[in-house]
Amino acid sequence: MMHQLSKPEQWLDLYGDILYRYGYARLRNPDAAEDLVQETLLAALRARDRYAGQASEQTWLIGILKHKIIDHFRKISKESSREYDEGAVIEGEDEFFDEKGNWQHDVSSWSKPDKSLEQSQFFDVLQRCIERLPPKSAQLFVLREIDGVDTEEICVAMSITSNNFWVMMSRTRVRLRHCLDLNWFNA
Amino acid sequence: MLTCKEASVLATKAMDGKLTFRERVGLRLHVAMCGLCRRYVRDMKRLRETVRSASQIEFKLLPESVTLSRSSRERIKQALNNALRHRD
Repeated sequence: MMHQLSKPEQWLDLYGDILYRYGYARLRNPDAAEDLVQETLLAALRARDRYAGQASEQTWLIGILKHKIIDHFRKISKESSREYDEGAVIEGEDEFFDEKGNWQHDVSSWSKPDKSLEQSQFFDVLQRCIERLPPKSAQLFVLREIDGVDTEEICVAMSITSNNFWVMMSRTRVRLRHCLDLNWFNA
Repeated sequence: MLTCKEASVLATKAMDGKLTFRERVGLRLHVAMCGLCRRYVRDMKRLRETVRSASQIEFKLLPESVTLSRSSRERIKQALNNALRHRD
């Protein structure tokens, strides 16, 4: 199916909020998310002659926004190299493992017939648990698991080593799992 | 023998398919003997599959009540109009 673009004057009304939510959920910063909506629409304006009609208008705009999001992370990691300070992430207290590296909390069973991962309420809980993650953890999880961005690309954009990525991502998963344990499987 | 903490990091590395031979053997050995880590590894894979097969989840990370403020909408509209005018 071939798609056609609507008038640029209509873009903001049609897609402004979708683009804003998409950016906000990933940047965790309302001002930066607003700026990216504007940048995305301006870039779309410049690129609209090259729109081939293969993707829907929304998919096309989100595609442009995704590039802007990666660019944003790249810019931030250049400006403040301490933003993703490796030491700060790897060292420090770990509330989930004891000093011997054993699990601190019970890793509870997820095999509960009345609590499946397919229920729509599960996604509400998952959404809230992602929101409760520290901002950087949430960014990593959303980029990697929800948007499917390659680990290598994330590491380059955020100026982190892959080993550090796995440590941060592992902490994110442990934290997320604990939140899901408490708020879904044992709620 | 790996600790559970080390095993959890290797489990994440494994989900990217990047374990060395040594790490793979170490993780397998640990998981074979540790029920909690076995459960952890299995559940994290399930979570990944669930997230990947969920339709439109990338648009559902924030409720629809989150919208552009009126002032920023106005600002963006201005910027778009300016760009459109310069183009013609």
